[in-house]
Amino acid sequence: MREIYICTDTITGLCSALHDAWLENRNREAGIGLRGRIQQQLFCQYKTVVETAEKTRRLQRMLKRYLGYNAYWDIYYALLSDDQEKGTEVFRVMQEARNIPDSRKIMDHLGNSDVAKVFAMSRSVSNEAHMYEEFIRFRELKNGILFSEITPKSQVLSCIGDHFADRFPLENWVIYDKTHEVFLIHRKQERWGLVWGETLDPDAVSEVSEGETDYAALWKEFFEAVSIKERENPKCQQNHLPLRFRGNMTEFSPRL
Amino acid sequence: MHDTIQKEMTLNEKLNILSDAAKYDVSCSSSGVDRKGDGTGMGNCSKAGICHSFSADGRCISLLKILFTNECIYDCKYCINRSSNDVRRASFTPDEICTLTMEFYRRNYIEGLFLSSGILKSPNYTMELIYAALYRLRHVCNFQGYIHVKAIPGADPALIRMTGYLADRMSVNVELPTAEGLKLLAPHKSRKNILTPMRLVQNQMTENKQEIALYRNAPRFVPAGQSTQMIIGATPESDYQILNVAEALYKKFDLKRVFYSAFVPVNKDRALPAPIDNKPPLLREHRLYQADWLLRYYHFEAHELLDEKNPNFNVLLDPKCCWALKHLDIFPVEVNRADHRVLLRVPGIGYKSAGRIVKARKLGNLSFEDLRKMGVVLKRALYFITCSGKTMYPIRIDEDYITRNLLNTKERLPEGADGMTFHQLSLVDDVNFSGVNRL
Repeated sequence: MREIYICTDTITGLCSALHDAWLENRNREAGIGLRGRIQQQLFCQYKTVVETAEKTRRLQRMLKRYLGYNAYWDIYYALLSDDQEKGTEVFRVMQEARNIPDSRKIMDHLGNSDVAKVFAMSRSVSNEAHMYEEFIRFRELKNGILFSEITPKSQVLSCIGDHFADRFPLENWVIYDKTHEVFLIHRKQERWGLVWGETLDPDAVSEVSEGETDYAALWKEFFEAVSIKERENPKCQQNHLPLRFRGNMTEFSPRL
Repeated sequence: MHDTIQKEMTLNEKLNILSDAAKYDVSCSSSGVDRKGDGTGMGNCSKAGICHSFSADGRCISLLKILFTNECIYDCKYCINRSSNDVRRASFTPDEICTLTMEFYRRNYIEGLFLSSGILKSPNYTMELIYAALYRLRHVCNFQGYIHVKAIPGADPALIRMTGYLADRMSVNVELPTAEGLKLLAPHKSRKNILTPMRLVQNQMTENKQEIALYRNAPRFVPAGQSTQMIIGATPESDYQILNVAEALYKKFDLKRVFYSAFVPVNKDRALPAPIDNKPPLLREHRLYQADWLLRYYHFEAHELLDEKNPNFNVLLDPKCCWALKHLDIFPVEVNRADHRVLLRVPGIGYKSAGRIVKARKLGNLSFEDLRKMGVVLKRALYFITCSGKTMYPIRIDEDYITRNLLNTKERLPEGADGMTFHQLSLVDDVNFSGVNRL
């Protein structure tokens, strides 16, 4: 009977599930399902995974040691994706890695359909993360904190933390992921961290600082002035900057 | 009188005038340098560059692209800021530039600063102002993001050198592909004047590389290299001439990029070509960029793509397809065995997918389905490749046959670039390729 491991849609959850699946079923078929998004099937046995940091650490160490850092990051990114089959696909990639001479080359093996799938997921997450590095707009709140809201498909926050921490080391800033309800918080000269389970106070984040409105207006002014009228091309603009990002961007918000 | 106007102008108005004046500069890339922040200021740079927005014309906005001043003493016929034009004039102060850059950067609006300028009083005076602004930005505001700055032709080499240590990329615009064109349209500029600072920056960069090899922490001079741009369609050069100029610039001046700017008629002048439908030659610009990428990443040379007899690009097919159709003797190539360089020459296989193919075929034979997943554009590639000795469909290696099929695949062109966006082709149509302004 095929065993399916049920876990939450977090890195800890998925890594724990992969850990258990690898421990018990590495030579057989097994699946990994996300809690709340699973469709019951016949001839399957469902197991709820006990999620611990220790399992996560062990699995990540194993991936890094046997598949190498690059493959580890590909898998890590794939696990952040929006796809509900992601756990199962990664498990199959881990199994496939044992069939090739050098398991560290696993992510080059794009002829294998599971590897290709994980590669595609990883690429799409890293593309989306890159889009957010580009399109996040901060606004300065009354207390000097830079605040931004985003609505990503995949859980990109942990992919963009390093980038912004390196860029604004002396600022206090917060990015709020509305889709997954997670905060990415950075305190001046400290490391960034993720915060789950807090709720957003809409009043606190709507009070902006004194200069904020002026700079937002200046930016809009610049944004409009820099376009060449004779070359206008909304379709090309939309290819590069899809509509779903625009809701949270200063230059596309109505004038204050 | 002049002074009072200056004083009353708000930052808002200045930004409007000076960004509007700077928009005809094409380059907005923030690429070429990887620099982590050192934790004491603000900013970093990433090798591939980051676009932060896209304006209504579909061009990326990466840098705060502004002129220092548009009070220019030169009278270049194609330029909106020529001294004989009656436009509103404004100048920033170094302080204003710093505030704008820092505040925009903090909000993640931009990746850095692109500072160009009209010639205020003299080249030296202008270059000094630019230097002052950059010095303030780097050392007082501690800004570590990207800075692209123009070297002003005719300015003192010492000034250009000092500025180069503060900037990431420097550029001097060659403006027009040939010296004759330049003489005709930009009477105050000369080819020699433009190439001198370019050579200066190049030599300084080579010298700096040796310094860095000796002393790891030596200051970096223009780490992201230099670029240039030329206007396409204002003078009667052929694509072959333009491409040759670009190739020479890449080879002899070690340029990182050459940008092409489809001529937008902003002035009326006898020396300028009459605008056709008021549309810039966008398709021509697009083809030049395609060829430019072939030169830089695909080991092509200018004389392979065009020659004296065919001096202009095909309107209907991209340069790579055209080349492949003329060299059908080397096709089809076997994907599982062909050299990386040969793979790069196959239409539909790009730089990234060629790399992926070379890696993946070590671990097993590749099929057409695998290629599709890797990002190969099969509708173009299928006429030129075999997988394990078989083509995808039974095809004939025949120029007419393949040309006909390639034309059917509908290349994705930038909207409006084909000049017939709203037309359907039919036999009786007077096909109007107004996108291509040939003279």
